[in-house]
Amino acid sequence: MSTSNPIEFRGVRKAFHFFTLDDLSLDLEPGQILGFVGPNGAGKSTTIRLALGLLTPDAGEIRVLGHRMPEAQAIAKRDIGYVSSEMRLFQNATLAWHLRFIASIYPGWDEAYAATLLKRFNLRAEQTVKGLSSGEQMKAVLMLALARRPKLLVLDEPTSNFDPVARHEVLNEFTDVLRDEDRSILFSSHNTLDVERISDRIAFIDRGQLIDSRDKEDFLERWRRIQLQVPPGTALPEVPHVVDRVTDGQFVTLTTNQFSGDLLARLGGTVREVHRMSLEEIFVANVMHHREARGQ
Amino acid sequence: MYSGINISQTDARPMYLQIMEQIRARIAAGDWPAGKELPSIRALAAALKVSVITIKRAYLDLENEGVIVTRHGKGSFVADVNGLAGELKEAKLDEHLAEAAHIGRQLGLTEEDLAARLSRAHRNLETQK
Amino acid sequence: MNPLTRKLIAREFYMHRWLIGISMIAGLAGLALVARGGNMNFNVGFLVWLTTIVAFGAVIAMFGIATERKERVMHWVLSLPVAHGDYVRIKVAALLACFILPWFLLSAAAIGLILLQAHLPDGLLPVTVLLCAFMLANYTFVVCSALHANSEGLMTMVIIVHNTVITLFMFGVMAIDGIRTHLHDPAAAWNSAFWTVLAVELAVFLVLSSLPFFVAARRRDFT
Repeated sequence: MSTSNPIEFRGVRKAFHFFTLDDLSLDLEPGQILGFVGPNGAGKSTTIRLALGLLTPDAGEIRVLGHRMPEAQAIAKRDIGYVSSEMRLFQNATLAWHLRFIASIYPGWDEAYAATLLKRFNLRAEQTVKGLSSGEQMKAVLMLALARRPKLLVLDEPTSNFDPVARHEVLNEFTDVLRDEDRSILFSSHNTLDVERISDRIAFIDRGQLIDSRDKEDFLERWRRIQLQVPPGTALPEVPHVVDRVTDGQFVTLTTNQFSGDLLARLGGTVREVHRMSLEEIFVANVMHHREARGQ
Repeated sequence: MYSGINISQTDARPMYLQIMEQIRARIAAGDWPAGKELPSIRALAAALKVSVITIKRAYLDLENEGVIVTRHGKGSFVADVNGLAGELKEAKLDEHLAEAAHIGRQLGLTEEDLAARLSRAHRNLETQK
Repeated sequence: MNPLTRKLIAREFYMHRWLIGISMIAGLAGLALVARGGNMNFNVGFLVWLTTIVAFGAVIAMFGIATERKERVMHWVLSLPVAHGDYVRIKVAALLACFILPWFLLSAAAIGLILLQAHLPDGLLPVTVLLCAFMLANYTFVVCSALHANSEGLMTMVIIVHNTVITLFMFGVMAIDGIRTHLHDPAAAWNSAFWTVLAVELAVFLVLSSLPFFVAARRRDFT
C-alpha cells in the first residue's frame, strides 16, 4: 500500500444490527475529487465515519494521509476538513468565537481567506449560532473547514439543506481547491448534478457494497440508452452488455453499460436514436442492475 | 477570466465537448491567436467549476485534432499552424453539411433537392445584406 | 497539555462562568448569614450554602453533558484533531475542575468560619469536612452517570437521586455515635468514625471519577 494516497480502504468490514458494510476497498488519489453516490442507508456516512476514525472497522485496513485509522485519528485530523450535514456548532457561542477557536488550534489557518468566505457566504461574525438557519449553520461549518486549507476535505452531504444560491456559493469554493494538485476531496452527495460536474472519479455504493468505481468520463462514455424500432417479423439482434430492456410494441429501449461502435453496428438499421445518460440515470440503472444480479 | 466559457449541464452534449467547441470558436474567431498559452488544466477546472478530468479530456482531444499543442512541463498552446482558424471554420461547415445531409435523407430528399435548398439559403443570406 | 486540550477546558469554564460566579456569591452569602450568629441565621445560612453547592453540581452536569448531547456538537468537535477517548477524558477533567473551583472556595470558607467564629464549636469541623467530601463524591456520581446514561429518563432519575441523597447522608452521618456526640465539643474529634466515612467517600470519588476513563472513553464507535 503506497503512503501517497490520501485515502485507502482495504477489505474494510463493519457490521451493525441491520446493515453490514462488506469488503470495501476504495482509493482516493492525490489531487482528485471523488464523488460518492448511493441511496439512503447504503453506507456512505458509515464509510466516511470510518475514514475519520469515528467508527472502528471489524476487519480490513484504513489509511488516511498515511495514518492508520482509527488509531491515529487525532494526528490525521490536523490535515482533514470534515463536514457533515449532521454537525452543529456550539449554539450559545458566536461565529467570531468559533473563528478564534479554530484559528488558535490550526497553524494552517488563513485569516484573510476566512474573512473572504464570511462575506461570500453571507455570514456575520457577531451572529450567535443559535440564530442561524440550518443552511447558514452548515455554511459556517464549511467556512471553518475551508479556511484552514486542509489537505483533505471529506464532505458528507454538505449541501443537502441548501437553496440553489447557497449551493452555488459553496461549490465555487470546493472547485477552488482544485487549483492545488496536492489537495483532494471526498464528497458524498445526493445531488448527482453537482457530483457529475466536479468529480474526477465516482464510486457507487448500495446496501453496504461498492458496486462500481471508475473515472467519471468513463461512466459517461460507457452508458447509453438506445432506442430501436424492430419491425414485426424481424428479430432483435442479440447484443451483449444489455443491462435493461423495455419493450413497447415495435419500440425497444435498451440500456447498455458498455457502449461501443461495434455494439451499434450489430444493432444496425433498427437503431433510431442513441442517448447519453446523466449520472443520475446511470446511477439508478446501475443500482437496479446490481440488485437484480444479487437476486434482490 | 474565462467567464465567457459556459458549461451547461442541461445541454445534450457532454461537458468536455462543449469546452472543446468554445475553445475552437475562440481560436476560429482569432480571439485566441496562434501560440497563445492556454490556461493550466487545474486553473481552467477551477474557473469553470468542472472536474479536472473533463478539462484533461478536452485538451487531449484538442491536441489529437491538432488544434492545440502541449509541451511537457510548459503547458498547452494554440497550435501555430497557418490557417488554423480557417481550418476550424471549414471543419464546422462540414459538420453542418453532414447534419443537413442526414436530415435530408430522413425527409427523402434527393441530392438535387438538397443542393437546391442550399442555394436558396445562400440567396436568402445575400438579400438580407 | 496540547493547545486543543487547553482550549476545550477553557471553553468549559467560559461556558459556565456565570454559574460559577453566582454559586460562589450565593454560597458565601449563606456563610455570611451564619456568621451573624443565632439559630435561625445558622439554619437558613447553612441551607443556602448547602443548596448552592448541590444545585450547582446538578446544573453543571446537565449543561455540560446532556445539553451538549442534545445540541449534537460532539460530531463537530470530533472533526477537530481529537479522538473520542481524548475528548471524554478532557470533558471529565474540565467538569471536575469547574466544580472543584467553587466547591473548594466554599468548603474552605465554611471551615474557616468554624475555626474563626467563637459561637461555632470546632466539634462541627469533622462533620463539615465529611459533608464537603460527600458533595464532591456526589458530583462525580452525577457526572459519571451523565457520561454513560443514554436516556433522558435515566438522567432525570439520577438528578433526583443526586439532589435528595444529601438529606439521607445527613441523617445517616448524624446517626453515627462517633460523630453526633462530639458535635458541640469545643475541640474537633478526628476519631475512627470520621476517618472511616472519609475513606469511603474518597474511595467513591476515585472510582466514579476514573470510571469514565475506562468505560465511556473506551467506546470505539461514535454513532
